[in-house]
Amino acid sequence: WLLFPNCFLALVTLPFVSEVRRLDKRFKKLDLDDSGELSVKEFMSLPELQQNPLVQRVIDIFDKDGNGEVDFSEFIEGVLQFSVKGTKEQRLHFAFRIYDLDNDGFISNGELFLTLKTMVGKNLEDVQLQQLVDKTILSADTDRDGRVSFQEFCKVSQTNGVL
Amino acid sequence: MYCPIVFQWATVRLERGAKENNHPLYKPYSNAIIAKDNKDLDSASEFEMSDIFYFARRGVESIMDDEVTKRFSAEELESWNLLTRSNYNFQYISLRLTVLWGLGLLIRYGLLLPLRVTLAFTGVGLLVFLTSLIGLLPNGRIKNLLSEKVHLMCYRICVRALTAIITYHDSENKPKNGGICVANHTSPIDVIILASDGCYAMVGQIHGGLMGVIQRSMVKACPHVWFERSEVKDRHLVAKRLSDHVDDKTKLPILIFPEGTCINNTSVMMFKKGSFEIGTTVYPVAIKYDPRFGDAFWNSSKFGMVNYLLRMMSSWAIVCSVWYLPPMSREEGEDAVHFANRVKAAIARQGGLVDLLWDGGLKRDKVKDTFKEEQQKLYSKMLVGTQEDRSRS
Repeated sequence: WLLFPNCFLALVTLPFVSEVRRLDKRFKKLDLDDSGELSVKEFMSLPELQQNPLVQRVIDIFDKDGNGEVDFSEFIEGVLQFSVKGTKEQRLHFAFRIYDLDNDGFISNGELFLTLKTMVGKNLEDVQLQQLVDKTILSADTDRDGRVSFQEFCKVSQTNGVL
Repeated sequence: MYCPIVFQWATVRLERGAKENNHPLYKPYSNAIIAKDNKDLDSASEFEMSDIFYFARRGVESIMDDEVTKRFSAEELESWNLLTRSNYNFQYISLRLTVLWGLGLLIRYGLLLPLRVTLAFTGVGLLVFLTSLIGLLPNGRIKNLLSEKVHLMCYRICVRALTAIITYHDSENKPKNGGICVANHTSPIDVIILASDGCYAMVGQIHGGLMGVIQRSMVKACPHVWFERSEVKDRHLVAKRLSDHVDDKTKLPILIFPEGTCINNTSVMMFKKGSFEIGTTVYPVAIKYDPRFGDAFWNSSKFGMVNYLLRMMSSWAIVCSVWYLPPMSREEGEDAVHFANRVKAAIARQGGLVDLLWDGGLKRDKVKDTFKEEQQKLYSKMLVGTQEDRSRS
């Protein structure tokens, strides 16, 4: 992994070295066809992920260059956001990205609906779901532009002391 | 059952909610009747945007290190045991260590292996030969006695062939006739280890080749339960044959490995409920190998049987502990799955193994879509639970 310039930077910071090594091992283990990149199929070989309805979104967020696969530097960046070294800001940003499907910096009504749909599957009527979405946007949207910006999202999440 | 994520999330939410509202954790139903009408937006849900974070985090945790796939490969050791095969992280350290390793290699392959292979051939050969001989005798007490002696002797030779150093605990709980013995499964050697201390009726599929020869001759001396490949799929047939066997008190206790596949001895995975549906006493047994002397786990996708046996015979030794746990029976109104989990928990506790709900079959198969749908259903219930309660009352 010394060949990747991005990782080199991470390696230079000593505290990261052991983590990066572990990540490297894990990456190689997940990379079943040794292609150097992780496809959705390779992620889905993990049984615990198969039952997680959100996994496609998580992979999409990891995949910064949008080529459909996660290479090692994307992998490191993605995972380290969740590590103890990651900041609250990073985690909030990640959570925001899960909703913000088109990555335009705002969560629209439609995007919230679609994300929730993957969470609940067929178990809620669309009408019920839409009510939920409307209510949530209403309470979070302080500048009344009909969608939730990152600042509005942070405010709503912070008050609940989750992240 | 398969919803640890959602339950964790729900617990935190409940706690958080209670703290915010200073309410008791579970609202009594009388409040619900007094509350507002149905379909009221305000009471529609308790969804919050940050909920999603739990699922995302769990997802990333699974990506980093999941509980399931690591059970299907050999356990990683803290420090090296001078076997190259256990060498995952360690690199060249010193000349002295390399010399030691070289010596170890010589001893293991030059001395121990040939000795063990000879013993193994002797053991198996004797088993086949003697059980066939005994098969010629008429059924009766003498036949059973002889069969017992022969089986025990041959298995003990095989134990020597592997240099297995076994410590049996609580032998007073050893399985008796008419019962079913269940144990956690790490490798085919489990059978030899248990059978060298007691006589069991084996259950399994008939194989071809050498295995088949051994199976066919064993069944001549005393009744084992061998299935044809086609019969294995028919669960009723399997259950019936097992029931018939245990009902006959002169027959030996059945030995079953409910996980259905080999797991790497750090955990116990889901027990298939079939053996627990038969209404008889279950004798749980916990087997724990000491990984420092040799890794007993058979990774069947990596090594074939012969390769595996050779590796076993060229390790230092197989050191393991066997605990015979007190017998358990299905309680009134308890279903098979619950009973199976109870037994599994007891075995995991005794052996110091992690008790997992995951199915060992995931080594080869995918998780069924129903599990994801379960997660979705549970999450939805959380969201609209209160609303449904109100509309019902």
